[in-house]
Amino acid sequence: MSENVMTLQVITPAGVVYDHHANYITARTTNGEIGILPNMISTITGLEIDELKVSRPDDETHVDYIAVNGGIIEIKDSLVTIVADSAERNRDIDVSRAERAKIRAEKALEVAKAEKKSDEIKRVEVALHRALNRLNVSSHN
Amino acid sequence: MGASLNEIKTKIASTKKTSQITGAMQMVSAAKLQKAESHAKAFQTYAEKVRKITTDLVSSDNEPAKNPMMIKREVKKTGYLVITSDRGLVGSYNSNILKSVISNIRKRHTNESEYTILALGGTGADFFKARNVKVSYVLRGLSDQPTFEEVRAIVTEAVEEYQAEEFDELYVCYNHHVNSLVSEARMEKMLPISFDEKGDEKASLVTFELEPDRETILNQLLPQYAESMIYGSIVDAKTAEHAAGMTAMRTATDNAHSVINDLTIQYNRARQASITQEITEIVAGASAL
Repeated sequence: MSENVMTLQVITPAGVVYDHHANYITARTTNGEIGILPNMISTITGLEIDELKVSRPDDETHVDYIAVNGGIIEIKDSLVTIVADSAERNRDIDVSRAERAKIRAEKALEVAKAEKKSDEIKRVEVALHRALNRLNVSSHN
Repeated sequence: MGASLNEIKTKIASTKKTSQITGAMQMVSAAKLQKAESHAKAFQTYAEKVRKITTDLVSSDNEPAKNPMMIKREVKKTGYLVITSDRGLVGSYNSNILKSVISNIRKRHTNESEYTILALGGTGADFFKARNVKVSYVLRGLSDQPTFEEVRAIVTEAVEEYQAEEFDELYVCYNHHVNSLVSEARMEKMLPISFDEKGDEKASLVTFELEPDRETILNQLLPQYAESMIYGSIVDAKTAEHAAGMTAMRTATDNAHSVINDLTIQYNRARQASITQEITEIVAGASAL
């Protein structure tokens, strides 16, 4: 194993979603986008609901996309661990299910806005954001 | 030889049918158990990682914890999250857990206002309602392999009530799955979160770059940690439920088989007796001639 490689593990309650070597990762944290290279300083930070871009050492041109629903990222000794409520690789995403989730969330958002429930609006917006994120990631196929 | 031949025959037939049903239910439970076990295994890796990150984050901090989820408050009210099954036919699974909860509550509390119960599963909810114990939250109809999304409602509810100081500590009561024959009732303290009991874990010397700052990350991580621990016990309890169902159904099938054996012997004896009687009657009739 060369020096300039790190390991990325994405773990959810349903099991390990992604476990591969990587030489470059981009992620959107609560503080903005970060790029992660091997041997980076140990860091712990929160993630936004967004996509994760991973370029692997075995294929320079190929990029893996992973939809992550929030969670925490820990970087330590070239081991990058992401724990999230849920996460999906682009090839595993069920597009029709994500479409349906999006439509459902949009409808619920209208209802919530009509009833002016601020908590509900916030929750539905997060759900909508997740669905859009999944659709966005799946479009990278 | 009270029963007639026909009566015994119908009894045998109906017991046979029952044993077929329980046999099928045993196999269904066995399949579910296997699935639940692999699910629990997958979840274990997640729980370990969350725990590791949390300890990494907390151990590098020398100041006393400021996060509300870690501060030990004076205990005025205790919350119990009791996990039971929705349906019966699981042997002593439900009675085990409910008995241990009731005895624990009696030991610890003198007044009803000192505790509140969150019930997961219909049996537990009905049990407490029948005894006029206040149940503050009920979740029924959990699927056999509960997803994180499904249980999020009750988990978030528990965490929110804790944060709103509805109760000052939270225990989760469930049956821990040891193997397919053994499970044990457990009561675990989930909130406030403490890491004291894991004193053997070496505090990592690595200092972490924290963005934006410790408090913000803790605010995000600790609820996730608590949720994952509670979800872990639910998965564990479900596994135990399937195991209990399987064992109960196996016992039922075995019992049915022994009942059928006894009945068959009884049937044969009755048949024999009637034949003997018939012969005696014929012989007696012939000799009378």
